[in-house]
Amino acid sequence: MISVKKVDNKPLGPLERIYLLEVARGLAVTMRHFFANFFNRKGMPTIQFPEQPSPLPGNANLRTRHRLKIRADGSPKCVACFMCQTACPAYCIHIEAAEYPENPAEKYPAVFDIDLSRCVVCGMCVEACPEDAIAMDTRELPGGVEARSELLLVKSALLRNLPGEPSLKGAANRLANEYLKAGGEK
Amino acid sequence: MIAQFYQAHSDILLFAGAAAVKVLVLLNVIMGFTALLTLAERKVSALMQDRIGPNRASVFGFAFDGLFHPVADGIKMLVKEDFVPAKAEKLLFTLAPFFALVPVLALFAFIPFGDYVMVFGYQLDLQIAQMPLSLFFVLAFSGLAIYGVFLGGWASKNNFALLGAMRGVAQMVSYEVVLGLTLVGLMMIFGTAGLQDMVRAQGRLLFGFLPGWGVFYQPVAFVLFLTAAIAENKRTPFDLVEGESEIIGYFMEYSSMRFGAFMFAEFIEIILVSMLATTLFFGGWQVPWLYDTGFIFPWGSTLPLNHYLVAALQTGAFAAKTVFFSWFLLVVRWTLPRFRFDQLMALCWKVLLPLALLNILVTGAVLTALK
Repeated sequence: MISVKKVDNKPLGPLERIYLLEVARGLAVTMRHFFANFFNRKGMPTIQFPEQPSPLPGNANLRTRHRLKIRADGSPKCVACFMCQTACPAYCIHIEAAEYPENPAEKYPAVFDIDLSRCVVCGMCVEACPEDAIAMDTRELPGGVEARSELLLVKSALLRNLPGEPSLKGAANRLANEYLKAGGEK
Repeated sequence: MIAQFYQAHSDILLFAGAAAVKVLVLLNVIMGFTALLTLAERKVSALMQDRIGPNRASVFGFAFDGLFHPVADGIKMLVKEDFVPAKAEKLLFTLAPFFALVPVLALFAFIPFGDYVMVFGYQLDLQIAQMPLSLFFVLAFSGLAIYGVFLGGWASKNNFALLGAMRGVAQMVSYEVVLGLTLVGLMMIFGTAGLQDMVRAQGRLLFGFLPGWGVFYQPVAFVLFLTAAIAENKRTPFDLVEGESEIIGYFMEYSSMRFGAFMFAEFIEIILVSMLATTLFFGGWQVPWLYDTGFIFPWGSTLPLNHYLVAALQTGAFAAKTVFFSWFLLVVRWTLPRFRFDQLMALCWKVLLPLALLNILVTGAVLTALK
């Protein structure tokens, strides 16, 4: 069903056809804006972004720079299951797994790189993670760097806890801690 | 021997020295003001659109709200690749930016930016070329600027550039006619075609209190002049010469500082139009009720002033009026939408030209009746 909108353009009146009066009215509008902003620079809605951070709206906070959560014992929560790497539509995650020598039941990422220059900030990795190890809630907006290499996040740059973490709640966390406390029994 | 030579030719040597000083000072002031105008264009448009505008270019962390942007732009223009198309006419391609830049710069020689200053007993006229017919020279030189547009478009050997150049030439030639005819009324009233004489004539009072500026004698001519001048300047709403979405423009094949010269010429023309509007219609360097010896107010009181103070006030008034008109032209450029090309031509030949002729007729009739 095509909807047709009939536009009812009024024909120009004699004053409008002279054009000069309309020019003056247009100039009045723009000059009003000019002087209002000229004498009240602070009143403009512009935010000087990197220096002057602005709160992100709602769920946009969950689409910011990645981080890897850390357990209470300092080990990464990530178990190098490759779920995020598989889910990533932009192929920006690179993981190399390794085993704890004392605990062969659990792996850890020896290398965990996120190439932010490829990342599409879709949040699929967060959705895919079974361990709740990766999160995108740092509220930092990446970008604006002088070299491409600065857009490569390596493991050390990713490992970070927010205030109030590590939380000792949660099954995965508890089980892992119990494992380690038991000295990695088989 | 040198002393002898100086004795024999002191008057012409003094004249040459004074002219050289005036040229150097004025040229540098104009260039500096043009650079600031490129920033002002972006700042004014930003403020009109509730934005802040460029403020990032900084030296050692000091940005001064974008004051370094003209410098950054200049450096960028100079270090960009200077590209010449393989099929272009090399000589004309190189000459075209000069043809755009030189006539507009030469025009400043005719603009009186003050009355005169006495320096060590030597009367220094504040106008580079004191000519009795300078208005005709202004019109002639502004006609020369067409060559820059046309050579640039033609020498590029690019159909779009040629199309842009054709548009530009058609537009400039058409509006040249109106521009010249609007000024006939002023010449009839002031009885002279010398810009300095015109400004001096505007020092007379109208009805005993109103400053006798051209705009009070010829309000219609002022509107026509401003319209034609903006069209001559090829800026919005008459910027048909360039159109990013259709033909790009006559400078399409130009890059780096060659393009910069075209852009610079356009901004210098803004200053030129402002100065011409000031000189012809807003009393030039005249300050209302300020005479050689100081203020004489219409209500009888007087305020005697030093000669140098008077000269400084007059030159300052000229600068202030010029800055105001430059700002006004920027506001106009960012307010009005552009015309279609046929509307542009219709406006020129069917509206402005008859009005300009009518203005001459009415002026002549009134002058004859008053005689």
